[in-house]
Amino acid sequence: MARVATYYAARLANYLVVLLIAFTIVFFFLRLIPGDPVENYLQSLAQQGFRIEGSAQIIATYREKFGLDQPLLVQYAAALERTFLHLDLGVSLMNYPQPVESSIMVRLPWSIWLLGVSTVIAWVLGIAAGTVTGWLRGTAFDSVFYNLSISLAQVPQYLVGLLLVLILAYALGLFPAGGAYSAGVAPGLNLEFFGSVLYYTTLPALSIVIVSAFFWLLTTRALTVSILGEDYILFAEAKGLRRLRILNRYILRNTLLPQVTGFAVSLAFIVNGFFLIEWIFRYPGLGSLLVAAVGQRDFNTVQGIILLSIFTVLTANLIVDLIYPLIDPRIRTAAERA
Amino acid sequence: MTMMADAPGEVAAPVRAGPLWRATTAIWRASPRLKLGLTLLLLLLALSFLEPIITHLRLEGRGPTELGTFPRLASASLQNPLGTDVFGRDLLALLMIGLRFSLMVGLIAGGLATAVAVFVALLGGYSGGRIDYLLNTVTNAILVTPSLPILMAVAAFVPIDLVLLALVLAFFSWPLGARIIRAQVLSLRERPYVEFARVSGFGRFGIMFGEILPNLVPFIIVGFSYAVIGNILAETGLRLIGLGPGDVISLGLLLNWAMTFGALAQGRYLMVLGPTVCLLLIFIALSLINVGIEERFNPRLKGVTGN
Repeated sequence: MARVATYYAARLANYLVVLLIAFTIVFFFLRLIPGDPVENYLQSLAQQGFRIEGSAQIIATYREKFGLDQPLLVQYAAALERTFLHLDLGVSLMNYPQPVESSIMVRLPWSIWLLGVSTVIAWVLGIAAGTVTGWLRGTAFDSVFYNLSISLAQVPQYLVGLLLVLILAYALGLFPAGGAYSAGVAPGLNLEFFGSVLYYTTLPALSIVIVSAFFWLLTTRALTVSILGEDYILFAEAKGLRRLRILNRYILRNTLLPQVTGFAVSLAFIVNGFFLIEWIFRYPGLGSLLVAAVGQRDFNTVQGIILLSIFTVLTANLIVDLIYPLIDPRIRTAAERA
Repeated sequence: MTMMADAPGEVAAPVRAGPLWRATTAIWRASPRLKLGLTLLLLLLALSFLEPIITHLRLEGRGPTELGTFPRLASASLQNPLGTDVFGRDLLALLMIGLRFSLMVGLIAGGLATAVAVFVALLGGYSGGRIDYLLNTVTNAILVTPSLPILMAVAAFVPIDLVLLALVLAFFSWPLGARIIRAQVLSLRERPYVEFARVSGFGRFGIMFGEILPNLVPFIIVGFSYAVIGNILAETGLRLIGLGPGDVISLGLLLNWAMTFGALAQGRYLMVLGPTVCLLLIFIALSLINVGIEERFNPRLKGVTGN
């Protein structure tokens, strides 16, 4: 048991180290930016035609307030403390004086809904289809799906999104081109609102599902084929077990496990494209907020969204690694023996 | 995001040690998917390199970015196969320029990323111990960092040019290749011939670059290809929302022009379809190359093709 505890401790320590490295990368990358956030923001306001009186004084005041007049390392330490100890992402410049957290919280449920629904559907569909195509390898059915998934698994989701908008929304007029629900429906706990949300979510979700499902199909098929070559499958067949039982108990079980880890690892990749899907569909989630914040040079909001997405991806990976020994006895015994 | 195994236990079919070009021809003969992918990629590259000549002939010497060369918003015709945009520029000529810059940015940043990936993977994988742990942790940290938002932030605040763009893209695209290549180094360093080189008194770098590197070629290509995919994905995404070097006309910028003009709402689908199809072809070509190599050189996937 002590060995298992060591495994957990090592994994947790690794999580914290990676989180710190990622935070450091983000911090110093964003400090590559010349000028400082307040100055940049005022400039972007001035470009939009706002007149700003006494901007030098405003800049000086906010520099002091945000600690931007301190040396870089002091700023770094302060940012670390604020972010991790106080969970404080700073003040939003475009929604001043709201904290960044509150602008994020308004958008977050929409992103969680879209991302959650589409990635889970894609994962389940892809693994089911991947197992079946691997099982039927060499048939016409397999070759159609295999070639389709080779073509689509690496395509960015936003390209599929653009094609779907073009065909299904504009050319055929079957779906709305953007938004999260119909303008004529008031948000509330009623069937009409849910129906509208579902209808508006279809296209952005489909853009993610198509690409991700084919990615999972490709990887699951490879796993399935390699499992089919194992001796225990031959033995199961020789024993005369029914094919469905072999598929279910011998193959699916062994493909599911690595794909649980794969799910967490792929999150970073999905989050990358996800922000642009939201922008294309004018979906009111974090991605649209990020693009708006980038456009208005709202430094704190940009940094907050980036940090939140890194934190989410890393934590998802940690959770998967922590529950992994519970679902895979091999890891458990390996950890105990190590 | 790879089906390439990264556990050290996976053993690669060894490429006969020898000159690099022999390894390369072995890869070419490996799989029909690989041939198809490479042919497609070479076609796209040829098209983008011949762009100045083709455009010169088609537009009879007029500059492709000159405003008002043709009637504004002309429909597809023999003279302008994809029509013209709101400034009277020929869309096909712009598309070919876009293809060239997109490929160029992807390949340059991909090359930089792959150089870093090979070095990190060889150094960490062969040395093992603390160096490996450190390099591996950094690799994983960058791998899970969503790069596009950071890229967007940097591009929004910094006047970014082609060189800086390639550097930032490379910074975020080397880790996947490093992981794939490191897994192979871990398996190769235990091989008898490496042992033999070691006892024969070859130095560490001699073994790393002389003995192990030639056998990594297929995996380096896969790493390179993934880096190019990631770079073009990120560059296009960045340009799509209107960021990045304004003087570099890439496929993403063409999409941005189409979207801000409202091409879809106005029924000008070709403005969006052109760049989208070009990008799809690039991604399909690179994906075919990767799957082709993996089918041949990853023994765990032998028989994956169904033959």
